[in-house]
Amino acid sequence: MTARLWPEIGRYVLIFAALAITLVPTLWMVSMAFKPISEWTASGEALTWWPKEPTLDNFRFIFGTSSSELLVALEKTAWRPILASLLSATFGTIIAMLCGTAAAYAVSRFRVGGNLPLSLIQLRIFPPMAVLIPVMIMWTFLDLTDTWWGLALIYGIVTLPFSFWLMKTFFDEMPREIEEAALVEGCSRLRVFLKITFPMMLAPFASSALFVFILNWSDYLIALLLTTKDWVTIPVYMASLSSSMTGQLYGAKAALGLIAALPPVILGIAIQRYLVRGLTFGALKQ
Amino acid sequence: MAAAPESPLDAEGRRLGTWMALPTQILLVFIVVFPLLMQLYISMTDWSPLYGESWIDAWRSWNGFANYVDVMSDSRFWSALWRTLLVILVCVPAQFLLGLGLAILFVDEFRGKRLFYSILLIPMMVVPAVAGYMFFMLFQSGGPINDILSALTGTRVSTAWLSDPTLALIAVMIADIWQWTPLMFLILLAGLIGVPEDQLKAATLLGASWWQRFTTIMLPRIRTVIVIALVIRTVEIFKIFDNLYIMTGGGPGVATETISVYIYKVTLQNLEWSYVATIALIILVSLSVITAFGLKLMERR
Repeated sequence: MTARLWPEIGRYVLIFAALAITLVPTLWMVSMAFKPISEWTASGEALTWWPKEPTLDNFRFIFGTSSSELLVALEKTAWRPILASLLSATFGTIIAMLCGTAAAYAVSRFRVGGNLPLSLIQLRIFPPMAVLIPVMIMWTFLDLTDTWWGLALIYGIVTLPFSFWLMKTFFDEMPREIEEAALVEGCSRLRVFLKITFPMMLAPFASSALFVFILNWSDYLIALLLTTKDWVTIPVYMASLSSSMTGQLYGAKAALGLIAALPPVILGIAIQRYLVRGLTFGALKQ
Repeated sequence: MAAAPESPLDAEGRRLGTWMALPTQILLVFIVVFPLLMQLYISMTDWSPLYGESWIDAWRSWNGFANYVDVMSDSRFWSALWRTLLVILVCVPAQFLLGLGLAILFVDEFRGKRLFYSILLIPMMVVPAVAGYMFFMLFQSGGPINDILSALTGTRVSTAWLSDPTLALIAVMIADIWQWTPLMFLILLAGLIGVPEDQLKAATLLGASWWQRFTTIMLPRIRTVIVIALVIRTVEIFKIFDNLYIMTGGGPGVATETISVYIYKVTLQNLEWSYVATIALIILVSLSVITAFGLKLMERR
């Protein structure tokens, strides 16, 4: 038995080391979000892992209800960026899922679309930075800059490869006998898709949608270039938080970072089993 | 083309399929074909949004391949490119080895597996820009990283990581390794779980050591998985921007300026859009050629 015991202990030691490294950065942000100004840039002896006097001031500040004298009211509270992030990520997800699912079904069942699958992989491989100049010109021309619908459109396109490849994998795996039975009964192809195939795919569809939402919610670069004032998203707003009096608003940024980080972490853990497929374009079936 | 006679249902299916794929195809033309043509056109002029002319009138400042020649002798472009490759060369192997090690630890059942697994996946779900800010705080001269180092070494360490060119690059790499090792772990674990257990059992009965089982059964079985994982991370790090830009802004100086950061800076600070379009196009074309070549190689296997 002792021969089996030592490897087990070794396993736990290594895993706990990995857990510690994983958690320290996140916990530091959580701790910072609840620290009062006086503790923001403490160092040496004064630096503590947990706030000595935990406070909600940072959250009150970013939502514009701060009582602290050092933190004067912001030009704009975090409500609007949160709304911008929610709207653009949600509608971007809707665009990607509608177009992606339809195209995935078409390619999976009827083999139309030519080299659509490959072009979509290429779209993912391209650095977004490399197509943003024409996109900026187009968005200016179409009056889409600094709007949530302009962001939603580009998010929908950028995440299309993921919705397409996820849904294609699921459609490929679905047995066709059920559809064929309905066709024999005299259903049209479209009716079969709407009444039989799609309802059966609801669970994978929902997971794919959550996955695409996480990707859209995580963007910083595109929003940084395509929004300037009215519809900046959470990460862009977070990066801009600083004041002439205190410089970097550590605690306020951490509070906002915490708000931004929570939805993807919760959703991500909920849909873990689809993550591998999503990130590998289904090239690897779990 | 002499097609075989189709049943009415096949024709109906093809018609429906064509309609269903249409929106995606329109979006692709809208975001890939059209922008690329526009990019090619602008890259051959000397146009900038500053000039007040619309981009359509850019032909007035036509200068052929002058931008392309300039890029070739642009030392900042080359150093950003090499820096990006350096980050790839350090981070991808590091993430791979750490991820593989973790995946091996997680293959068998043990108490707490599901919980530990969920916790280990957290970094990759944190918004990259937020992760960048986390590491910005951690690497301050009075920050917790120095605090940990002080405790470990017994002396007061107060390194200003992000103001030192070399250390800043290392800090950026550490942040990327922290955030994306979980992805390697996840993909490799998915591959390892797929290795048939009876083969491993048979090998054990034949007296194979753990190392022999690993190298002769597990590794060959997950070869494709390994290739996919390495390709994904290489491609993604090539695009690195969000976390890095929030952490260092490409600085100090140009010490952490990667290709995306360089393009971003020239776009917004110098507004030399024709020049940027040229750089972007060169990168797009090289990447397309490389990926097309890579996909061919994988198909032949």
